[in-house]
Amino acid sequence: MASSAQASSPLMRQRRRAGALFTLPATVFVLLLLGVPIVQAFYYSFTKWDGITAIWVGPQTYVTELHNPIFWRVLQNNVLLLLAVPVAIGIPLAIAFLLNQRVWGWQVFRSVYFLPTAISWVVIGMVSLRFFAQQGMLNQLLSDVGLGFIQTDLLSTERGALLAVALTFIWSMVGTNTIIFLTGMATLDPSLHEAAHVDGASNWQIFVHVTLPQLRRFIQFALVITVIYAFTALFSLIFVMTGGGPGYGTTTLEFFVYQTGFAQGAFGTGALLGVILFAIMAVIGIIQIRLLRSVD
Amino acid sequence: MSSSTAEVASGTRPPGGHRLGRGLLLVVMCLVAVVMLYPFWFMIRTSLQTQEQFQSGSRGFSVSSWSKLFHDLPATQQMLNSAIICTCAILIILALSATAGFAFAKLQYRASTFVLLGIVAAMLVPMQSIIIPEYVNLSRLHLITSYAGAVLVYAALGIPFATFLMTTYYRGLPDELVEAGVVDGLSYVQVFARLALPLSVPALVTVTVLQFIQIWDDLLIGLLFVQNPDQRPITVGLAALSAGRVTDIPVLMAGSLLSAIPAILVFLFFQRHLVSGLTLGISK
Repeated sequence: MASSAQASSPLMRQRRRAGALFTLPATVFVLLLLGVPIVQAFYYSFTKWDGITAIWVGPQTYVTELHNPIFWRVLQNNVLLLLAVPVAIGIPLAIAFLLNQRVWGWQVFRSVYFLPTAISWVVIGMVSLRFFAQQGMLNQLLSDVGLGFIQTDLLSTERGALLAVALTFIWSMVGTNTIIFLTGMATLDPSLHEAAHVDGASNWQIFVHVTLPQLRRFIQFALVITVIYAFTALFSLIFVMTGGGPGYGTTTLEFFVYQTGFAQGAFGTGALLGVILFAIMAVIGIIQIRLLRSVD
Repeated sequence: MSSSTAEVASGTRPPGGHRLGRGLLLVVMCLVAVVMLYPFWFMIRTSLQTQEQFQSGSRGFSVSSWSKLFHDLPATQQMLNSAIICTCAILIILALSATAGFAFAKLQYRASTFVLLGIVAAMLVPMQSIIIPEYVNLSRLHLITSYAGAVLVYAALGIPFATFLMTTYYRGLPDELVEAGVVDGLSYVQVFARLALPLSVPALVTVTVLQFIQIWDDLLIGLLFVQNPDQRPITVGLAALSAGRVTDIPVLMAGSLLSAIPAILVFLFFQRHLVSGLTLGISK
């Protein structure tokens, strides 16, 4: 197509105008409700702000926050939660592999494993809370199988509560990641698999040397999704399960934003924490775009 | 699309196989199923007890928690609130992402790629990063006392991915569609509404299903942007109930189950759309 001809044609001009008009509402919406607030967050992160009056402080706000031990405690929780990510990838990978063996009823199992993704983290958190409680199902289960001497009370300690949140998180990611891997396994080249079989490779060898390398893209995708969830999607779960406690035991950065802003009314500091979260996610996002080239 | 390709690769298994291995596999898969379904069982079982029965660990059975849920608590109203917020937000998302997606794919203008990039980049902004200014802005506009604030925020959060999805979908339609429509004397609005829109129903359904699950299940936005207790969505109601000093766990579980039912139904009927929405980023 000759672009010079396009530019001169009144029909083309009309088409471009229509295009601009069509995209206007969505653009305005995103600009006003997502674009403006992020700029505001950046501005207010340099202020002392109670929601009504903002007093300019400057970069000192960041220095102050970086000297706040609670901030580092919170960030530590985020890092510890990241330890759950390999498990949240590994288990679904194993499950997808088993499902991919196509035993009788595998499609039903697939649906069953995927079902929890439809459920709110609020609901999951409530059940999980009863599961890990001292009078809860976990201890019941332990005593039922003759391990009654191991009485757990995870939610009462800082590290224990974080472990309980992490375990619930891993459980919640099973459906999503299993589906991602199953989709990946459906794209595998069967001839490679067969060739390996003919060469006498064991199932395990085939999985490690043939299947896994072909799944690389899908594993990366699951990794990115899981990390994004770990950083930004656990608010409801933490809110319902632990309220961030005990102490700051389960307060992650996203939860800290809420606490600082809305429980303590320190809107400026809350905005600052939000900006730091955004910076972390932007780095992850850049990696994601590189991996997925989702915009072409 | 992905589940249909899943069937194709099934020919990779060696015929026959070991009976024992297969049996073992089935057992493992059943165990995983038990782990995944346990919360549902727990909710059903607990909701069919009274608080006393639950605490004493008895095997009793009662529907009193369910009647308490409906009679003593605004559960029905809160379900309705969730439905209203979901519906309004999804309608806005559909309208804006379909029009924008169509234009980004078929009616490109000079800056359109740049604008699309900007909208898609907004996907990377975590809600928590903007929630404080957003809250202050909307409360200044007196929008957080009704459904409106939450609807607007949910819509804004949903539009970037929905626009991306719709653009991808419309790109798959032939350019001749627009040309032919224009030659036939249709305006661009008519080409969109009469030709493109009907063809994009599958993509619209995917957007609807994904957004429904997302909005219906969310807590944070409802918690902050719906300040009127009578207009609270069900998730906020449950969280408030759970945080109460004396929590009636069977009632709470009945409420949890109730809140989960619409999402489960949507899941059962539209699972395929959820899968295709999830894997859109990689399956291209």
